[in-house]
Amino acid sequence: MSNESNETCCNNNNLALTFGALLLRLWLGVRALQTGIEKFSGTKSSEQIIDVDGAANEYGLTAAGSVKNYALENYNGVPEALMAKFQAEPLMLKFALPLYDKILGPVLLILGITLLLGIANRVSLFLLGLLYISLTWGLILIKQDEGVSWLGVHMILIVMALAVAEHNRFTILKKW
Amino acid sequence: MNPELPSFFSRRDFLSKSMATAGAGLVLGAPSFLRAANKDGAPGAERINVALVGMGKQGRVLFEAMANIPGLHFQAVCDIWDYNLKGGMGKVRALQGHTPKGYADIDEMLATEKGLDAVIISTPDFWHSPHTVKCLEAGINVYCEKMMAHTIEAARDMVRAAEKSGKLCQIGHQRRSNPRYRYTLDKLINEHKICGQIVNINSQWNRAVNSSQDIGFNKKLTIDTAVLNKYGFADMNQFMNWRTFRSLSGGPISDLGAHQIDIFSWFLGVPPKSVYASGGNDFFKEREHFDNMMCIFEYDTPLGGVRAFYQVLTTTSAGGGFWESFMGTEGTIKISEISANSAIYREDSAPSWDHLVKRGILKKSVAAPAPAPSADAVASYESAAAEAFELPGGFGKPAHQPHLENFFAAIRGKAKLTCDARHAFESEAPIYWVNPSALSHKPIEFTAEHLSV
Repeated sequence: MSNESNETCCNNNNLALTFGALLLRLWLGVRALQTGIEKFSGTKSSEQIIDVDGAANEYGLTAAGSVKNYALENYNGVPEALMAKFQAEPLMLKFALPLYDKILGPVLLILGITLLLGIANRVSLFLLGLLYISLTWGLILIKQDEGVSWLGVHMILIVMALAVAEHNRFTILKKW
Repeated sequence: MNPELPSFFSRRDFLSKSMATAGAGLVLGAPSFLRAANKDGAPGAERINVALVGMGKQGRVLFEAMANIPGLHFQAVCDIWDYNLKGGMGKVRALQGHTPKGYADIDEMLATEKGLDAVIISTPDFWHSPHTVKCLEAGINVYCEKMMAHTIEAARDMVRAAEKSGKLCQIGHQRRSNPRYRYTLDKLINEHKICGQIVNINSQWNRAVNSSQDIGFNKKLTIDTAVLNKYGFADMNQFMNWRTFRSLSGGPISDLGAHQIDIFSWFLGVPPKSVYASGGNDFFKEREHFDNMMCIFEYDTPLGGVRAFYQVLTTTSAGGGFWESFMGTEGTIKISEISANSAIYREDSAPSWDHLVKRGILKKSVAAPAPAPSADAVASYESAAAEAFELPGGFGKPAHQPHLENFFAAIRGKAKLTCDARHAFESEAPIYWVNPSALSHKPIEFTAEHLSV
């Protein structure tokens, strides 16, 4: 009777930890993936010429409003507003900034996908943590304290996900 | 003034460009709204070889606007600051796939580069005139940022050089090519006369203290002092903040105000007859130019007198940024480059505008909730609330793009410039007298000597 009770208790705990690991993995994966996708988003104003007096107006006035779109041409790794601030920072490595700008979006996409699919999740989480540390360093330089705190919360979630990694299920590549 | 629309705004041309873009999108398997390819020899467009002189903030704004215009080949970039030069060359390379030639000195560029059709000048104001004159004399068409120059005499040199050379010289009063402004003038004010008699103009460009601070720079990128001196700057701070020095610019009234004061004369069709101005260093006490300035221009129009009040404040953003309001006996048009700052109001006593709404000439705004009666209102002293309307459409391009399109269309012989040097001078001449009026605390009555080339 006593052993059965312990087994039930441990099974319940394992199930809870498995769900916890899965939820953390999904949250961090979605967060990284969609952030990477958003790097390719932009808005496009309407190009529909409006009618005035029953005919297309000759001034080029278009219907109001704009639509969000995704395209390779929209890509901005580091937002332009922040880029100018980073460039003015004496501690910022000037050669590294354009490279970072180029790889940030793709890296987020890759890590988001590996987390969601369960491919080498511990390594993925570790790399995601390193990425967030790099972002944190940049935000410290330009005194974006709110952003730093925000990334700190992400780091806690990553550490929690690593702590329950042994309970991770539904993976394609469990190794690493 | 040029009331005619440039031909590139014709419906047929617009549709053909739209369809070409859509076609390219289909071939590339990309959405049709992706930016039109801007490679050399774009189909259907004659190639124009362009040099970019000055790749600071405004130079980059113009470049981004030009990136959407097909048929341009950016052949050379010129800037005395290596940081701007390399940055500009990199942007061009990213757009057209190969690196343009880079120069620190415009004389070297003009001596070396062959086959240039156009130069885009966005250098500090005190260099506009020398750079423009050099290029025109070299037989190259010029698009030069406003204000034309830091002195009226230097602006006169530009008009003379343009007319002597026979080349095109477009000045960057970009509202003159803006579809919303052109529609407002042609259709609403002139054709349908919705304002009735315009009796007053009220306009402002108010900017918060935070947005008006001196521009900083990375000390590692400091330009050598000998180079700065050669190009008229005492030091790096003056290079970065030339707008605040009297010897290098006209200050906020020309830097910001010129765009809007230009519209007064354009819409009214007459130059002002006088100006009275007041200014002071209320917050930025160390600056040479006034940080706050107010002025009143007086106009005599065929319908009667008009006073135009203008203020440029670099110490507060109160009043909603920048806009121009044309106030008439039957309606008021408040217009701005930012469509959200624009509105049109019908006086309660004016004839109905319902027929204009039905024809699509105006759009009725969603009615704001009526204010609750308040104890402090004295009904007999108040006018009835004006009915709110808006333009029937918007304009989805970068603000400078139509003006640049007009310039390049004129080079191709397909349009007339909307703001050539002479028209720009006529518009800018009164602005050169605002600072003298404020400094002397005296009104200035304009004579031909004040306003002519």
